[in-house]
Amino acid sequence: MLDRRSTFWILYLPPLLWLGAFFLAPLGLMAAFSFRADMRGDLLQIWTPTLAQYASVWATGSYVRLLGISALVALAVAVSATALAYPIAYFLAFRAGKRAGLYLVLLLVPFWTSYLLRVMAWKIMLGSEGVLNSFLLYLQLIDNPLTALLYNRNAVMLTLVYVWIPFAALPILAALQRIDLALFEAAADLGATPFRRFWRVTFPLSLPGVLAAFFMVFIPTVGEYVTPLLVGGSRGSLYGNIIQDFFTKAANWPLGSALSMIMLVGTLALVAVAVRLVDLRKLIE
Amino acid sequence: MSTRRVPSLLSGYYFALIALLYLPIGILFLFSLNANTSLSFPLRGLTLDWYRKLLESEAVLRAARNSLVVAAGSSFAATLLGTMVALLAIRYQFRSKNLLIALAVLPLIVPFIVLGVALLLLFSTLHIERSLWTVGIAHTVVALPYTLLIVVSRLAGFDVNLEEAAMDLGANYPTTLRRIVLPIIAPAMVSAWLTAFTVSFDEFALALFLAGTEPTFPVYLFSQLRFANRLPIMIALAVLLMIGTLTLVVIAERVRRAE
Amino acid sequence: MKRTRLLLGIALSLALLASACGGGAAAPTTAPTAVSPAEQTGSLTVLDWAGYDDPDFWTDFQTTYPKVTVNFEIGASDADIYAKIKAGDQADLFHPYTGWLQFYVDEGLVAEIDTSKLTNWDKVPDSFKQIGQINGKQYFIPWDWGFTSILYRTDKVPEGIDSWAALMDPKFKGHVSMWDDGPGAVTVSSYIHGYDETQITPEQLGAIKEEWIKQRDANLFYWAGEPELVDGMANGDVWVAYAWQGAYATLLGQGVPVAYANPKEGRNSWVGVYGIRKDSPNYDLALKFLDAKLAAATGNNVVNQFFYGHSNQDVMNGITDETLKQAFSIGDPAILQKTNFTPNLTAEQRDAWTAMWAQVKAAP
Repeated sequence: MLDRRSTFWILYLPPLLWLGAFFLAPLGLMAAFSFRADMRGDLLQIWTPTLAQYASVWATGSYVRLLGISALVALAVAVSATALAYPIAYFLAFRAGKRAGLYLVLLLVPFWTSYLLRVMAWKIMLGSEGVLNSFLLYLQLIDNPLTALLYNRNAVMLTLVYVWIPFAALPILAALQRIDLALFEAAADLGATPFRRFWRVTFPLSLPGVLAAFFMVFIPTVGEYVTPLLVGGSRGSLYGNIIQDFFTKAANWPLGSALSMIMLVGTLALVAVAVRLVDLRKLIE
Repeated sequence: MSTRRVPSLLSGYYFALIALLYLPIGILFLFSLNANTSLSFPLRGLTLDWYRKLLESEAVLRAARNSLVVAAGSSFAATLLGTMVALLAIRYQFRSKNLLIALAVLPLIVPFIVLGVALLLLFSTLHIERSLWTVGIAHTVVALPYTLLIVVSRLAGFDVNLEEAAMDLGANYPTTLRRIVLPIIAPAMVSAWLTAFTVSFDEFALALFLAGTEPTFPVYLFSQLRFANRLPIMIALAVLLMIGTLTLVVIAERVRRAE
Repeated sequence: MKRTRLLLGIALSLALLASACGGGAAAPTTAPTAVSPAEQTGSLTVLDWAGYDDPDFWTDFQTTYPKVTVNFEIGASDADIYAKIKAGDQADLFHPYTGWLQFYVDEGLVAEIDTSKLTNWDKVPDSFKQIGQINGKQYFIPWDWGFTSILYRTDKVPEGIDSWAALMDPKFKGHVSMWDDGPGAVTVSSYIHGYDETQITPEQLGAIKEEWIKQRDANLFYWAGEPELVDGMANGDVWVAYAWQGAYATLLGQGVPVAYANPKEGRNSWVGVYGIRKDSPNYDLALKFLDAKLAAATGNNVVNQFFYGHSNQDVMNGITDETLKQAFSIGDPAILQKTNFTPNLTAEQRDAWTAMWAQVKAAP
């Protein structure tokens, strides 16, 4: 008889095998590669482990420093995106009514336009002969085109926030939709003003969604490399660019692996600390 | 449900943001009609040439098709696997439960570039050629946490009594799942599927490392950035894709309203 | 008990994975020499850069051998192509560029080419033939080529440019664009300071690194693809750039006032070559492909569509377009003497120079 217990294996094995093969195994291999001396010979071989790559990374202080900067950039982007996305999620959950579904998809449809091209379009808008500058020059609000909008770290952060806001709205929306509306009535019955109701009922209940949104933006942004390539200029490179360069421009997989491992361990440590501070179990239960 | 008139501020905010989101798209649309190959003002005259050339450009269309296929496949797999783990998380107790959940959520914590590089190493070392399959596999892994979290947050509020009632009435567990649980969590699964599809379709960071002979659209686009005279065709396609999805969405909404 | 199940599950998945590799072997082709070209069947896989998969760039082969299927794999860069070949890619042919050729020979990844079977070989100038020779043997066939020099807006830089040092000149603050490539940066510095490119010492490399860190003050962005550069120059953001002549020709065609410098240290030249992967089962067919790549129709398409040169001298002599003649400096017969071809890197140089560039980008 197919009871709950025996259905267990059907539910358990596929995800486990998938994650084991395509998540754990690759990361383990990458760890192994970080202890490899060079690229000579067959890719698949037993090599004598060496700390040479890590020593090389440590000796180059600028790599580690760049990792710290990338984390700070990610923090700023995540906080901004989450904060700016919250009103969107709130609007969709409580104000959009019957049209909520349509509005939601309207929010997501730009994702089905190529991200690369949208960023190129921002370049057109922010460039020194772009839309924004020609508009401001025309209105004579400025004398010379603003060059600070593009090809630097600020441009990277702005672009990332712009890209992430719609996506950050999703977990917040999911959390808001779970709130039992009876709680609002109860709050109203107890005499709460709309603001108090929001602050004491809505916001705390949506917190798991907010945290989910924050991490959903923060983690990928630490390793972000595409946006810096497009709008970062010479100084906007982030840690991910260095890793990418070692894999695609330098064919130096051992060093690239070592750099990746350092970022991975750093990110894991950060999240472990954050999980201590915020009990993640509340998210699941 | 409250109908206080603060909403104009909120809806104003929403629509302002939508306008901002669609602004670059509007600009792209302008440039797809531009007679010049370079992306700068002033425009050199309007032409529908690029759209014509697009329809003749087999490679561009194939890349778009590849993206659709990969997104459809990986989002399906991710939703399936994510739902499985969600059910395990909420309904079962077993020793390795926390391990499995952690494992399923861990891809969220791994930056795309690290995972892309790691999978590249795996496939290269095992001499598995890169292909749409390898891209799809990676997309499934990174979409899994999203689908899991979305389905779990819906399942968490699900009344277990409904299940037990069904089983008391003689249904086995798979049937209970199929006829009681799944319909109730279906909207969450659709939301999860949509999220996973979105994650995959325009995904570039992973695809760049893992695509083989057949590129996905973003990978193809990025590679074409080398050649100026190809760019407007890409923009034309991006605009068409967007118009297409918008149309689909409007139709779907009309159908939904009619029911 | 559960732990063993976990391990069993992982072992099972790895076994499944390993068995999946079995399907990756290339299908053997017959390629008998007695069959006429029109009847020749079979298939080839070419690992090439994006854009070159277009039939225009192998049109002679397509016309002569219409029944042969040609599949393309796309490589994003020289490093990517190298890594793919190392990873056991089953492509029969691949398309690296000067500087990146030594490793293929050293690591036994490329087959020697029997040039006696190439009917168009005599149309290739000797200097180009030599580019494809490593350790005295012909491993690569030169195909596309071009210059690297400094491209500049004549309206923004009316005094003109005569030296590679212009890329570093603080006078052009915020208006320079350099190619995103470490070995390229080392090349420029060695031209400026007269270093021997094949013998860069660690001290020199350190000085080069400092120089390029400082250059970031003048640099607006590093370009990875020509469209970025063309856009930047067309809209006036970029005044001075490290550029291939493709960008020069494109901008000329758009009516943007640009000039392509003849620096006193000399221009740089690069050549793209094709090699046949060692152990490719389609060696003879691949040779026929290479022969067709050297033919006139293909060559003309390269010149006219990408504004790159072609190794077939007849094709180059037949150029009539004035824009292209300017781009290739066809009117200046001494131009090839005044250029410096990119020498091939050793693995150590490649690692050191790419690491140097990463440090330039990571520097505060």
